[in-house]
Amino acid sequence: MKRSWLPGFITLCVILFLFAPLVVLVVNSFNASRFGGEWEGFTWMWYEKLWAAGEIWESLLITLKIAISASLAAMVLGTLAAYALHRFRSGLQNVHHMLITLPLVMPDILMGMSLLALFVLTGLETGLLTIWIAHVTFCLSFVTMVVLGRLQDFDFTLLDAARDLGATQAQAVKKVLLPLLLPGVLAGGLLAFTLSIDDYVITFFVSGPGTTTLPLRVASMMKTSRSLPMINALSTLLIASTFLVAVCSHRLQRRA
Amino acid sequence: MSTGTRTSRQWLLTLPSLTWLAVFFVIPAILVILTAFRPADLQGGVGPGWTMDTLHELNDPAYLPILWRTFSLSAATTLICLVLGLPVAFQMARAGQRLRQVLLLLVIIPFLSNFLIRIFAWKSLLHPEGPLTKLLISLQLIPENAVLLHHSGTVLLVLVYTQLPFAILPLYAAAEKFDMGLLDAARDLGAGPWRAFAKVFVPGVRRGLSSAAIMVFVCCLGQYVIPQMVGGASDEMLGSKIAQRVFSDRNLPHASALAGGLMLAVLVPMLIVVLWQQFGRKEES
Amino acid sequence: MDDFLVIDHVSKTFGTQRAVDDVSLTVAKGEAFSLLGPSGCGKTTLLRMIAGFERPDSGRILVNGQDITALPPEQRPVNTVFQNYALFPHLIVWENVAFGLRMSRRPREEIRSGVDRMLELVRLSEHARKRPAQLSGGQRQRVAIARALVNRPQVLLLDEPLAALDLKLRQHMLMELNTIHEQVGTTFIYVTHDQGEAMSLSSRIAVMNAGRVEQVDSPAHLYETPRTSFVASFIGDANFFTGTAVELQHEGYVRVYVDGLGSPLVLSNGTVASRQLLRLMVRPEKISLTLTRPASGERVNAFRGVVEDRAYFGTHTRYRIRSGEHSILAQLQRSRFSGGDIDPARGTEVWMSFHPDEGRVVRLEAAA
Repeated sequence: MKRSWLPGFITLCVILFLFAPLVVLVVNSFNASRFGGEWEGFTWMWYEKLWAAGEIWESLLITLKIAISASLAAMVLGTLAAYALHRFRSGLQNVHHMLITLPLVMPDILMGMSLLALFVLTGLETGLLTIWIAHVTFCLSFVTMVVLGRLQDFDFTLLDAARDLGATQAQAVKKVLLPLLLPGVLAGGLLAFTLSIDDYVITFFVSGPGTTTLPLRVASMMKTSRSLPMINALSTLLIASTFLVAVCSHRLQRRA
Repeated sequence: MSTGTRTSRQWLLTLPSLTWLAVFFVIPAILVILTAFRPADLQGGVGPGWTMDTLHELNDPAYLPILWRTFSLSAATTLICLVLGLPVAFQMARAGQRLRQVLLLLVIIPFLSNFLIRIFAWKSLLHPEGPLTKLLISLQLIPENAVLLHHSGTVLLVLVYTQLPFAILPLYAAAEKFDMGLLDAARDLGAGPWRAFAKVFVPGVRRGLSSAAIMVFVCCLGQYVIPQMVGGASDEMLGSKIAQRVFSDRNLPHASALAGGLMLAVLVPMLIVVLWQQFGRKEES
Repeated sequence: MDDFLVIDHVSKTFGTQRAVDDVSLTVAKGEAFSLLGPSGCGKTTLLRMIAGFERPDSGRILVNGQDITALPPEQRPVNTVFQNYALFPHLIVWENVAFGLRMSRRPREEIRSGVDRMLELVRLSEHARKRPAQLSGGQRQRVAIARALVNRPQVLLLDEPLAALDLKLRQHMLMELNTIHEQVGTTFIYVTHDQGEAMSLSSRIAVMNAGRVEQVDSPAHLYETPRTSFVASFIGDANFFTGTAVELQHEGYVRVYVDGLGSPLVLSNGTVASRQLLRLMVRPEKISLTLTRPASGERVNAFRGVVEDRAYFGTHTRYRIRSGEHSILAQLQRSRFSGGDIDPARGTEVWMSFHPDEGRVVRLEAAA
């Protein structure tokens, strides 16, 4: 039966559409031209300038600190939440499920604003802590969803088998459930890490002086035309690391 | 295991995430709604007491074009994303294992890439000195001094660009579960490829369609970075207004009132879709 | 020891459904015993209660004199071979088998010798380093058996052991299980819905239906002397007739009037009253077919019918014969040396006959 070529063609166009701007960015990061309109020769200049820009590396450090700690917290909270949602069916879990899914659809601006309102009201000074709290809050739901997906494929008779062979409930969880759930938890953590590094809007609302994360730094750089080409270089590095993360996450999710 | 231990285990496991979300999600949301009913403080905070003034001020006709623009841009983006996303999801689902993994990866990379970078990519592409502008001028498709940036079309373009992966992923999830054999059956019964697609595939993935539509629509409603960065002065959306009220005007009650409105605008379509999905499930059983 | 495993008036209800209804059984030490019945009969629930995954609502379970009813699964001297094997995917075969011994913190040498010996018993020594995903279905099952047996349980439970295997493998595993049972000598309890499995694997079978045990007997007795119509139809095929007792005879025979079949003479299963409504059972392979009326006599039950359907199975042929409102299943063995062989085609009129010893009353209903 003849298959239509249209979906394939559209897919190709969409992929090109999605990648073309990124490719241009990467190419331009090596372009001696300031605006990338024409190719003016290969250069490492922008990367050198990037390397020398101390404030960018400071921001990266802050961003990484927050991302790692927020993902860890989200991994713990999210795994517990996923287990509860999967194992129990009750009114409590229905409420729980609703609370977990709402942040997934809430626009960033609302989350940012509401958290800011909370911090203003409680007098909590905006800074690392407030950013960390905000990041854990929106990452929690994502980790829960990923781990929940893995739990739904998990064969719980394995826990019965462990107990049948002499393990207590706690030992069964430790020796059978957790090792098998670990790839899923890590995949969720990786997703949380990426979301945290990437976040701009929510961070913008809840950050304070001295806590300029990388996205915030990039945004301010975008407003000053002097730094524009450096953003190309930075972007290229970020895209490359995203690619690595995507491949790793993919491998983790596939190890069924 | 007695029911007592089971219940206490359930609470023990549910409490951490539940408390966190209650404190850092529910309460802040309530706070925002409450702030809408308080008077503005001159220093940018909230004054004492309660008032309905802010809500009355919202009656300003100046808000209407903003609301209209926000809704129409969100709707347009959603429509375009669905129209482009369906064939892609379809193609991905019917591709072989290898190709499917590659396509999935290709869609996920922009999805995971930094949001600002993706906007920046277009900003520099469409810059007067940028490559795309120069290309189009040299092809004589646009006049010499045309400005591609800060255009309402640009906002739509970048919105679609950033939201496409959000649409493709749930569509693909639904397409993967779809039994392609049904299409063969439809063709066998005389339907052409278009009709089979429209009458069998599209209804078959309607859960993915509604998830994708909701995600994109809601995401667009709250957008403010994109209109701020690539839009012009006349391209304000609800999100940018809220940000302006918070940071420039320092008028929290106003911002909260608008945010409350946005919250409603988000919850209503969500509720409709959830009810529709529930209804659809009852139909199936 | 005859009452090595004792199930004493055990009941379990789920919501409004009585899954296990006042069941009492005893299993001897070293016996191979089966719980047989259709899905939903309560056999799996009973198994889970022996293993410790369900708590009986009432009754006790004893193993070797010890009351284990309140013990959690990890403390029971019972091990289970699960239906889907439940092998730990993240551990190699060797570690899977060693799991139980590690849980009871046995000394390292003991673990090593125990596991090696068990792997030899199930002939998987060369696959010790593999992961379960790399093994075939039959190999996985042997790992599951080894993993359970290495702990020297007092009772081994096997849940639908042959269900997941294809026909050839099933026949092979049947023999293997019997060999392993002989070599190890542990009390085996099988749970299955397949009567062929139960009959080949066990010395005694408890046939269960709707939470109750209908009959506990050896396979031969269950087949030859089923006590209820359920047991008769579940084990092997059976023809059932309803009739009224008309004549009680000595030596346990009774003549029963069946509408349309005359009054055959059959074995009664106990005391029968005159004019009592009875249910009779005759196995298909006990019915002989002839084209002419067989010689009449006291000890011959004969009646006519027309062949409705015929199915050839290689070793035997089955016929569905209609006699009035009765549809009767007859099965003839194809043997070169049996004389008087007929193979009636559809539509042929035949005479069916069976010896009184092959017909029996299966349930005594209330008097008409």
